[in-house]
This record gives sequence, structure tokens and C-alpha cells, in this order.
Amino acid sequence: MAAPGGGASPLSPALVGRLRREHEKVVTGCQEKIQHWKKVESDYEALQERLQTLPDKLSYDVMVPFGPLAFMPGKLVHTNEITVLLGDNWFSKCSAKQAIELVEHRKKHVRKALDDLQKVMKNFESRAEFTEDLQKMSDAAGEYVDIREEIEDDSIETKGKYRTAHRPHSKPKVSNVFEVDLPANGNDTKAMGRFQSEEELWARLEELERQEEILGELDRMPDTVETNGEDATSSEEEKENEDKDTDVNGTCRAEDCITQGNFHKEFGNSDLFVGHMNGSTYYHSDDEDERDVGDNSVPTIFFSHTVEPKRVRINTGKNTTLKFSEKKEEAKRKRKNSSGNGHAAPELPNIKTPADIYRVFVDVVNGEYVPRKSILKSRSRENSVCSDTSENSAAEFDDRRGVQRSISCDEATQSDNSEGFLEEEEGEGKQQLPKKLPPSSGTTEAFSGTVIEKEPLSPSSVPHPVLAHPVLPTILERKSEELLSDAPEEPTKRISKFRAARMQQTQ
Amino acid sequence: MAEPLQKKLQAELEKYQQLQKELGRAVAARQKLETQLTENNIVQEELQLLDESNCIFRLLGPVLLRQELRQAREHVGKRLQYIGGELKRYEQQELQARP
Repeated sequence: MAAPGGGASPLSPALVGRLRREHEKVVTGCQEKIQHWKKVESDYEALQERLQTLPDKLSYDVMVPFGPLAFMPGKLVHTNEITVLLGDNWFSKCSAKQAIELVEHRKKHVRKALDDLQKVMKNFESRAEFTEDLQKMSDAAGEYVDIREEIEDDSIETKGKYRTAHRPHSKPKVSNVFEVDLPANGNDTKAMGRFQSEEELWARLEELERQEEILGELDRMPDTVETNGEDATSSEEEKENEDKDTDVNGTCRAEDCITQGNFHKEFGNSDLFVGHMNGSTYYHSDDEDERDVGDNSVPTIFFSHTVEPKRVRINTGKNTTLKFSEKKEEAKRKRKNSSGNGHAAPELPNIKTPADIYRVFVDVVNGEYVPRKSILKSRSRENSVCSDTSENSAAEFDDRRGVQRSISCDEATQSDNSEGFLEEEEGEGKQQLPKKLPPSSGTTEAFSGTVIEKEPLSPSSVPHPVLAHPVLPTILERKSEELLSDAPEEPTKRISKFRAARMQQTQ
Repeated sequence: MAEPLQKKLQAELEKYQQLQKELGRAVAARQKLETQLTENNIVQEELQLLDESNCIFRLLGPVLLRQELRQAREHVGKRLQYIGGELKRYEQQELQARP
């Protein structure tokens, strides 16, 4: 069809006009039907009226129609007996009242049909209006302009994050991580290399996963990775890339010495990232701290904390408190600095069952495990600055607390705090803490066994018990707080809680 | 050369016309059945409203035949089922004739 009026071809005025006419046809058709049904309804109403008055008299004198042209006087008898056509050649004799009911029932149907027709009509009316506008657009081409935009870039097929199918044998957790440039590429090509390096990435991923398993560090990586995957900020993506790298790097640290500059920077970013989850306030300072430290030749990861609030004593119920002490942070820092090939990153607890959660989320008290209390309880205020305490008293308090906890261990049921959690404990704390514990006294505590301090996952932020993931770092941080003295880093020793208790008692 | 082609064309055309007729028939029958369906539905509902005291008649030709309420209800129910089956059959025919 020729398009005399300008505009794009689908909007040619002729076509639009035709569309409009069709719409109008439908609308008029609907209107006619509506008229018809309205008439039917009024007829039924008249009938109902008649039926109501009919039984008033036994018989009526009427002029009976005789053929098309004649009438005859007659009587209308049996005024209450009405033969009703029910439909489909079915009749029934009813009284006038029953007939009224039947009529009412039919009127219901009529009204329903009317409503449907009204809806259809409205629908088509609006459509007709729209086509009118369309016509105006194509005719005038001045008042309204149809905004059309050709999509040229076909490469971007997915919105936001990538959705790549999982490799058959790749772990789902890991697959959430996005494009990562291999460290060899450096940090410059991060943004660009995303698309291309995917294949390489997968291959490298699998290779490194295998290595991770060998190193036994697989457990702690995916959690970080997972947390990485969950944040959706664009700024995070880059960091996620680096995180992935870091994970990769961390795991093969022992074998693969990757460029340290990248390494440190990336790890710093991973710190950043995890720190971001915990609290963006510490974001930048962490970064700075991290970068300052990471100039060693040996690939080591250093954690640094932002300025922590002073040591506070927080009431956590049962007359115990948790401390948040700067001293401990420093001690931890020193420990880290001195350590050569310590853990590349703190181990993440391997949580596979709900019981694991109980296992993992325990407080580290001097030499003992204490199950974590609900964050809704007063203990959650541990992160807030409740009061300032001196260092000396704090030390005593820790001991006391540890004692109390060691006592209660025997009494309380400890199904949750089974030996499993010991896996994540490191031996460093263990050595000091049992020594400090005096013999048990009489208070009841929920936990028995040795609490071994673990390297914190990310000491970069104040613990936020509210968030799920930051809980991990916070636990670890608190554990580090409670460590009263420097301890050399050692590989994690696993002892059962019973053995630990026995050791305590013997010491 | 043109003749066999023409013959072919004509044959195709006839087939097409046949199909269209079938389609038309199927659609018309379906519409009829649908009205019957609604009507019988109304009859069934109205029969529910009535009771034994009312005499029920059936018009067969010029004759009104007396029926019982029970019988009438059964009859109408069977008729409804029959109509439903016919509708399905015609729908299938329609689908065949359409493409």
C-alpha cells in the first residue's frame, strides 16, 4: 500500500484508517447487541409485573385476538396456571409466583450478557482511540513522534550479570563468580577481558579447584566467593573478579607465585569487598591500610584494621561480657606480620548442615567454646561501645568468663557444640588459653572444651552480628580479641572438646 | 506446458475451496451447538427451581407430552453431554480444516 502521508510504513494512514474502521465496526456491533439485550430485559420486567397482578382475579374479560385482524371478547381463566417454555421444547406448568422466579432467573442471564458486551465495547472504544492517535501521528508527524530506536548491539544479550550455563562438573557456588582476568593480564584489562577470558577462566577455575582440594582450602574459598556473587553493585563486579583471582591465588599460593603487586592489591580488594559487606565505613581505610603493607617480596596477606573503638565491656547475659579490645587487634596484627606463610586467608567454616552453624558460630572464650547467643539478646550489643574498661580488669574478666564457661560445659547439653567445630579452630589460641584457666568454679556455662582462636577472616571492620556473612568475620574477630597474648601461628590442631577439657583440668 | 500447470492449479484451488467449506460448516455447526448448550443449561437450571407439583411437558411436533420432573432432568442432562461431545468433534474438524 502506498503511504502518501510520511511516517514509517506500518503507520501508513491508509492502514491505520482501515484499522480504525474495523474497530468502529466492532464497537457499533456491540452497541446494537447491547440495545437488543436491553430490550429483552425491559420485556422481562413487564412480564414480571403482569404475572404479579394476574392472580388477583379469578378471570378477566379480554378481547382475544382471532387471526391477524380480528378480536373476540373472551375470558381469561385459570389465572394462576402458567405454562412456561423452559427452552429446547420443554414446557412446565407453574403458578404465577414460580413463573416470576423463573423470569428473574432469566433476567440474570440477560444482565450477564449485557455486562460482557459493555466490557467488549469499552475495550474496543479505547482501541479505536488509540488508532486515532496513531493516525494523527502518521498524518501530522509533528505533534507526536513515535520514538524508535534501533538496537545495534547484539552482543549484549543478558542484562546485568552473566548467565552462563553451569559446566557439568563445576560447583554451583563457584559458577556465580563472574569474569576474572587472570593475574597475568594484570589489572588493566579487567573490564575488557571479561568476555574473552571466560573460557580460560573456566579451565583455570577447575584446575585451581583441584588444587584447592588438595590444599584443603576449598572450604573457605567458596564462601567468600559466594558472598561476592551476591552483591550486585557494579563497582563490586570488578572486585569480584579480583576476589576470584584472589581466591585462586590464595589457594595456589604455595605453588604459584603470582605477581605480588596484583596479589596484594587483589587481596586488598577482597578485603575491601568483604569489608564492604560488613560496613562501608571501613571501606577506604582498609584499602589504604592494605596497600601500605603489601610490599613484601613474599606473598603474604596482611590485614589491617581501621581504628577500632576502645575496649568495651558489654553485658552479654549471665554476667559475662565480651571485649572488643584494641590491644588484641594489635596483637593479632603483630602476629600476622610476623607470620611468614600463614594462611592466605582465614578458613571459612564449611557449613553444610544446620548443625554446622551451631558449630561455627561459637564464641571464643579463653580456652573454651561458648555457643553464640541470639543477636537479639543483649549480647548483640557487643559491637557497640557500651563502656570503657581498662586493660587490666579486662584480662581478669576474660579469665573469669572462661572459667565460668568451662564449668557449665558439663551440665548443659552440648549437642550443637559437638566436636565438629573444632576443625576450624587453630592451635595458637589453644596453647595460651588453657594455661590461663584456673580450676573450675561453680557457675554453669553452656560450653565445655577448648576454644581455639582462629585467624579472623577479615578484620577490616567492626563486627556486625546482624548480617549473615559478616558474622563470620565478626566471630573470628571476637575470637581474636579474646586472645590475650601473642601466639605463633600454627596449623590447626584438632582435639576433641573432651580432651581439651581434660587438658584444662590437668593444667 | 501451461495446461498441466493450470490443471494442477485448479485441483489445488478446488481442494482449498473444499477445505474452506468444511471449515465454514464446522464453524456454523459449532455455533449452533453452543447456543443449544446455553439453552439446555438454562433449562436445567430452571428445572432445578421447579418441584413435583408442576407438570412438565415436552413439545414433540404438535403434541405436548407429559413428563416427570425426574425424567426431564435426566433427559436434559444427557442432552447436555451429547452436545458437549459434538462440540469437541466439530472443534477437531475445525482444527483440521484450518491450516
